[in-house]
Formats: sequence, structure tokens, C-alpha cells
Amino acid sequence: MIPACPLSALPRGEAVRVDADVPIAVFHTEDGEVFAIDDTCTHQDASLADGWLEGCEVECPLHASRFNLRTGAVDAPPAKRPVRTHQVHVEDDMVYVTLSEEEPNLPPGVSAGSAGAAP
Amino acid sequence: MTIIENKALPESFIKTLPGSAYSDPEMFAREQELIFEKMWFCAARSADVGKPGAFKTVQVGRESILITRSRSGEARAFFNICRHRGAQLCTEESGEVKRSFQCPYHAWTYDLDGKLVAAPNLTKMPDVDRVEYGLRKVHVREWLGYVWVCLAEEAPTFEDSVMGDVRTRLGDIESIDHYGVENLELGRRITYDVKANWKLIIENFMECYHCATIHPELTEVLPEFADGFAAQYFVGHGAEFGEDIKGFTVDGSEGFDRIPGVTEDQDRRYFAVTIRPQVFLNLVPDHVILHRMYPLAPDHTIVECDWLYLPDVVASGKDVSHSVELFHRVNQQDFDACERCQLATDSRVYADGGVLVPSEHHIGAFHEWVLNSLQGTD
Ligand code: FES
Ligand code: FES
Ligand SMILES: [Fe+2]
Repeated sequence: MIPACPLSALPRGEAVRVDADVPIAVFHTEDGEVFAIDDTCTHQDASLADGWLEGCEVECPLHASRFNLRTGAVDAPPAKRPVRTHQVHVEDDMVYVTLSEEEPNLPPGVSAGSAGAAP
Repeated sequence: MTIIENKALPESFIKTLPGSAYSDPEMFAREQELIFEKMWFCAARSADVGKPGAFKTVQVGRESILITRSRSGEARAFFNICRHRGAQLCTEESGEVKRSFQCPYHAWTYDLDGKLVAAPNLTKMPDVDRVEYGLRKVHVREWLGYVWVCLAEEAPTFEDSVMGDVRTRLGDIESIDHYGVENLELGRRITYDVKANWKLIIENFMECYHCATIHPELTEVLPEFADGFAAQYFVGHGAEFGEDIKGFTVDGSEGFDRIPGVTEDQDRRYFAVTIRPQVFLNLVPDHVILHRMYPLAPDHTIVECDWLYLPDVVASGKDVSHSVELFHRVNQQDFDACERCQLATDSRVYADGGVLVPSEHHIGAFHEWVLNSLQGTD
């Protein structure tokens, strides 16, 4: 379980990228829900925290595939594989993320430990 | 060349610019750099970029400029060039994006404020500042319901330059405030593709020596135009409608209700203003006509002309064709004349230019201003 950020630092409608072995994106929806998924799009190396949050979905900022924050499922190509979802709980204004144990679906050229690191 | 041409000019005449000033690509390049890329340039109608993400691309000097509106509703203007490897960002003349501009080459993505919000591998380049590598901004100002841009590093003050030209012509700024131009709406737009140098178009607009000859309809409505002086000669003077003229229409028939702020003094009169370097304003009691020029080449200028009316005139679908037709004819008559002059600019007999008669002498001040601007001293 990793502490991601204080909830009060993450306004509704916004997202934050959390550096980890495989970077995480934490979203605070307009409805007040908090979700965590892998930050890296499964198509190419783009940060989903930089994407467009709409309802319970995030649209990739580069080629507009949309990921469901609850299930990780992708709606349409070019991304084809889902992102991992992670469990979230909030305690004393702190957002904690419990990492999924599945293998991440990282795009070509990105591997655990490499995403987010300077080249 | 000949003896006659070496003689001193008669007192009545002053010289125009030489013919080459209207056709020389080098002169035009200097005008692009030192006039159109230095001054405030009326780039788009505010309503044409009416909501966040609506955009237009326009040619200003040598540059393509992208005009849009931010989420907060403010007009924004950028060089239409991707900061990565320089691909043109938007190739359409107008359109609407939902929330960002994306380069079609490697997908660098910019928000409506120009900030770089996404790019492939961007998180691997944490040292890249997203504002610093956002779109390059140009100065923006909205006035009279139009978006004005300035490509200079340091923009001249809008109040002195743009508003200064209005003040010089009308005597004060209040005179134009009376028309509430920013509240008017577009009734008709006609775009003219003119095969003439932009200066010929300005010179034509500044004088009325030609009016009685080429503008029969206009001279019918404004009989004093027949004296050749009226257009922009006297400060604060507006040409009066003829006695039996009911409105500023092609046949002198009734126009629409007077714009509420227009005063008695301004009623039944036509005022013309040139805002250097590329705007003409025509003020009549019930509507306003605004011309914007986009100079594209020494011998090629696009003129976009908007007829603006009170919102209820446009909303109720009233027939504006009688008022549009009057100035549409004037435009065609004027641009035909300009194109005819353009043809002569390379002739050996026009190498030294032509002459200005007394009612055109104020055009000499325009020429001086152009030449000074090109020397970088104004
Ligand atoms: S990088 Fe996300 S869809 Fe292409
Ligand atoms: S040139 Fe625009 S993203 Fe590469
Ligand atoms: Fe004219």
C-alpha cells in the first residue's frame, strides 16, 4: 500500500501521476469518487493523468482511446489492452493505493521501472 | 528619361510612390515584416471564435496565426506552428476543437491556452517545461467585436495606434462608441479576392476624387461626394445623405432603425475611417461596415467585408439586401479600379509613379508613413 497524495490536494475533475515502479494515475471524479489505474496508456507512452477525465472514464490525450476507471477496460482502438486498476482507500485525508498483482499492460518500449525515469 | 519628366511638378500635384512600390516582392516582404508583423492587425471577428475551442487561422504578414478562445472565454492567438519540429498545427481555415490542438505529426498536444499538455514519452522528459514549450503566443486584444493581434515582441499601445487612428479621423473616441459596434451582429459577409497591392486599396479608400465617376449609386445617396473631397479629408466630417434619400441603401430607400447611441449630429451621415494598416470602418446610422484586408502578395489582397446590424435586425431575418447591395457595388467598383492600376505598376511610364491632385494630397501623408515604417522610424 502506498500513500499517493492528500485528497485535499486533488480537486474534483483532476488527476495526479504518482511515481512508482509502474507509475500510477489517481483520479478524483466530478462525482467525488477516487480511482487509481496505471498511468501509462497501453498504446504508446502517454500519461493518462494528462488525459481528459469525463465521468468515470479517462480519454488518452494522444489518440483518444478511453479507459474505464472502474474496470480498466478500453473502449476503442488504437489502444487495445486494458490498464490495470488499483484499489484505493482514503484515510485521514490521505489517498492510499493498493497495487494490483496482475502484470501491467505497458506499451512497447516501456517496462516496469523505466516509465517515468529519465532516459 | 524625357525632358518633360524632369520638369518640376506643377504646384497642384504631388507624387505618388513609384510603380515598383506596388509590385516589388522585396518591398512587400519589408512591409510584411515592418508593418503587418509590427502593428495591431484586425484578425478575426470575435463571434467567429465565439466559444472555447472555436478557431480560425489567418495570414498576418509572413506568419500563419491561430486564433481561438480559452476555457475562461478569453481570445488567444498563437503562431500556428508546432514547437516540436515545426509542422503547421492547424491546416483548416476555421473549425472547432473540443479541448486541445494536436499536431498531426507526432501528436504533441496543446491546450486552449497554448500549454503543452501531452506528448509521447513526455513523462520521460521531466525537464521539459510545458509552458516554455507551449505554443508561441502573440498579443491579443478584443475591440469593436473583433480580435486584434500583434506579432511584435513589444506591442504598440492599442490606445495610441488603433484608437489613435479613429480619434484622428473622427475627432474623438466617443463618436465611435455611439455606434456600439461590439454589440452589432453580422448580417452579411462578402469576401473579395483582389489582384491588387494593399496600398492601392487604402489609397482608393482615402480619396473621393473617383466617386462621381465610378460610384453612381453612392454619389446618389451622398451627393457631396461629387465634389471629390468628402471621403476622409476633413476631421470629424461625415458626408450628408441627399435630401430625398431615406436610408443608406442602393436605391435610397428606407433603412432600419437608427442605432440607439447614434446622435442627431451623426444621423443621416456617412463616416469613413481608415485604421492602419488594414481596416476600413464605415459608419451610417443603422449599420456599420467593416473591411479587413489580408495582404498575401504584392499584387494579391483578400478583403473580408462585414455588414453589421442591430441584433434584432439580424434575429428577425429582415431583408438587408438593399443596404448590402449599396456598398457591395462600391466595393466591386473600387476593387476593379485598384486591379486596373495594379496592371500599370510595372510599366516603364509608371516607373516614377503618378500624381496626386489637391483633393488627394492627404494620401501623401500615408505614403510618408509607409516609407517611415520601412525605415523603422515612425
Ligand atoms: S497513446 Fe493512448 S491511445 Fe495512443
Ligand atoms: S512536429 Fe508537431 S509533434 Fe512533431
Ligand atoms: Fe471608392
